[in-house]
Amino acid sequence: MLGVYAMQRDSTSLDKLLENPRVWRGHNPVHASTGLASGYEALDRHLPGGGWPRCALTEILIEQYGIGELRLLMPALAQLSAEDSSADFLEPGWIAWVAPPFQPYPPALQQWGVDLSRMLIVRPKNDSEMLWSAEQALASGTCAAVLLWPEALDDQAGRRLQLAAEKGGSWAIAFRPAAVRNEASAAALRIELQSSAAGTRLSILKSRGGRPAVLHDVL
Amino acid sequence: MSTARNHRSSKGLLRQRSLPLAEPTAAPKFVTATVPKRLWFCVYLPSLPLEACGTGDEARVVVEEQKGIHRVLLASPAAEAAGVMPGQSANAALALLPTLRVEERNRLTEQQVLEQLATWLEQFTSVVCFAGGNILLLEIAGSLRLYGGLLCLRQKLAAGLEEQGFSALLAIAPTPLAATWLARGRRRACIREPVNLGSALRSLPLSCFDWPDTVCKSLAGMGIRSVGDCLRLPRDGFARRFGPQRLIELDRALGRLPDPRTSWRAPERFCADHEMTEEQSDRELLLVICRELLLSLERFLLTRQLGTQRVLFSFFHLRSPATQLTLGCAEPERSADHWFDLLRIRFEQLTLPEPVIAVRLRGGHSQALCAESGRLRFDGKTREQKLRYSMAQLAERLAARVGNQSVSGVTTIAEHRPQLAWRWHSLLGGGVDTATLLLRQGLQRPLWMLPEPALLAAEHGCPLHRGRLTLLEGPERLETGWWDEDGIARDYFTAVNPHGMRLWVFRNRSRELTWYLHGFFG
Repeated sequence: MLGVYAMQRDSTSLDKLLENPRVWRGHNPVHASTGLASGYEALDRHLPGGGWPRCALTEILIEQYGIGELRLLMPALAQLSAEDSSADFLEPGWIAWVAPPFQPYPPALQQWGVDLSRMLIVRPKNDSEMLWSAEQALASGTCAAVLLWPEALDDQAGRRLQLAAEKGGSWAIAFRPAAVRNEASAAALRIELQSSAAGTRLSILKSRGGRPAVLHDVL
Repeated sequence: MSTARNHRSSKGLLRQRSLPLAEPTAAPKFVTATVPKRLWFCVYLPSLPLEACGTGDEARVVVEEQKGIHRVLLASPAAEAAGVMPGQSANAALALLPTLRVEERNRLTEQQVLEQLATWLEQFTSVVCFAGGNILLLEIAGSLRLYGGLLCLRQKLAAGLEEQGFSALLAIAPTPLAATWLARGRRRACIREPVNLGSALRSLPLSCFDWPDTVCKSLAGMGIRSVGDCLRLPRDGFARRFGPQRLIELDRALGRLPDPRTSWRAPERFCADHEMTEEQSDRELLLVICRELLLSLERFLLTRQLGTQRVLFSFFHLRSPATQLTLGCAEPERSADHWFDLLRIRFEQLTLPEPVIAVRLRGGHSQALCAESGRLRFDGKTREQKLRYSMAQLAERLAARVGNQSVSGVTTIAEHRPQLAWRWHSLLGGGVDTATLLLRQGLQRPLWMLPEPALLAAEHGCPLHRGRLTLLEGPERLETGWWDEDGIARDYFTAVNPHGMRLWVFRNRSRELTWYLHGFFG
């Protein structure tokens, strides 16, 4: 049906159709420039768009904190906080941390090149406040990225976050336990991070417009 | 001052042309007819610091720090009866009277009390001025007929002040400075005609001036003890020695020079009620009413080009006390939609003990709105309005629901001790400078920090955290903080455990065998 529709139009609308992220075309890097470079080349090669999906929900599954989940994001966050969007009237993007499990340590963030004056840290009292805050921050259009640590994230909440991210044009990153690996999720990208003495294993479980993959020693 | 003297000092006049050395004539003739007669009423509150701290008959003193020592500034009559005197140190006063209540001087409260008083005084005249030094000036010439003459007005004012617990010194004179000096000189003077000013002021002592101590001392050293003595001095010499400003003040007090004053206005506040014919518990309806009130607030502020940072809703019930709801925002705001957004968030969490019979909206102090002009756009792109809120608005919304303390930014501090190298800062206030922490190349700091270092178990001197830790880098020795209570002496290491977690651990140099976990490299 889709094919018939496409053939009736001229080639420009076909291109347009193919650019739609819902059309899955195997490995073809259609929108090479839309992603946010992660700073890790091996990972960028496996992500559609050549980087983290902007305006979408990314889930990172980890068994325990402190195995490199922040290091994975830091180059991209540093780039986001330094991005000068003043040319198009927008305040530069903020980075919101909603309910972090420990204290994000400012001197270390500065070492990674993150602009501290664009950091917003929210410490809500319970999970519903956490989801509300994350949704507000995402939909506000003020935050370039929102990092959140939900205790539980059901399918509906995930979908709401995904919609809010699309609406506000910001990147949502949810850190979740590895046990939810087999649950359905609305996230555009799901990554599992496992760490052992041998090194870090990064598995792309789900990638909208891309393919699952397993990468070793990315970090 | 004779004209002959002025001729003699013509050289000086040429050199300092700006000085008003020639004695100004009382008032040019052609202006006299149009200038209305003015009468200034001075209210001087010498013991305002004491009165601002509260009322009561018990022995109290207000102290102020002078050169590192807390000294008594003012003492209540009960304290003075026990021998406490201004100028004593706080300890000496406490030794004399152990039950003495000692309070630190609070200039902010004094200012607030003075403003409240000024608001009250506005009923007597439209011109109320702050003259500094606990002095309020009222121009009362226009109010005399309304209040039935000077005597009645004076009595009314004095009675009102006494009722409010102020011990005020009052004086009336045709010029503001003369009234001020008479009040400071503790003369219960009432001078109506400018011609009588000279004789009334002449006998005033130097202490009635608000001049610097050095000036008064040097005048006293010259044998000058009163205003009259000052007036007898040669004008040019006086101006050269003590500055032209002093001469201008003398002329202004005598009415030879005009003394324009800016009158103070109480800040306007919005207050509106909505009363209902019967009790309501429908929350949606209440929200609609609140919205109506907010819209009238917006109209009120819009016509005055003002905004407010705080609004207060009161929901009145028939049997229980009113429920209050305060909303605040980071910048002066007048938009009803903005306030309504904030209200909706807070209203969800508000519990009303009873149905509501009336709603009142009060605006906080209003401030002038300063609009910022947008920037000219050169790229020609017509991007849709993507930004819905500014950061301040988002922070306000989050703070309204989650609580003010739970929404914050972070900054670094130039400090070598890891736990003190950063702090929270509020996003609702102004901007904050971020100190750039210069860490030597190769020194790593963890992305995750534990709120408090956690004690690690150890096995044969080797720390454990989900398995045996292997030390990768270190030690990095961080030491001292003798200038405060939080001195440290630690050796920090980067360690890795069998699960591949990289940790920041340290051991105290005093106790070699205890290991602590301080952060994860994340």
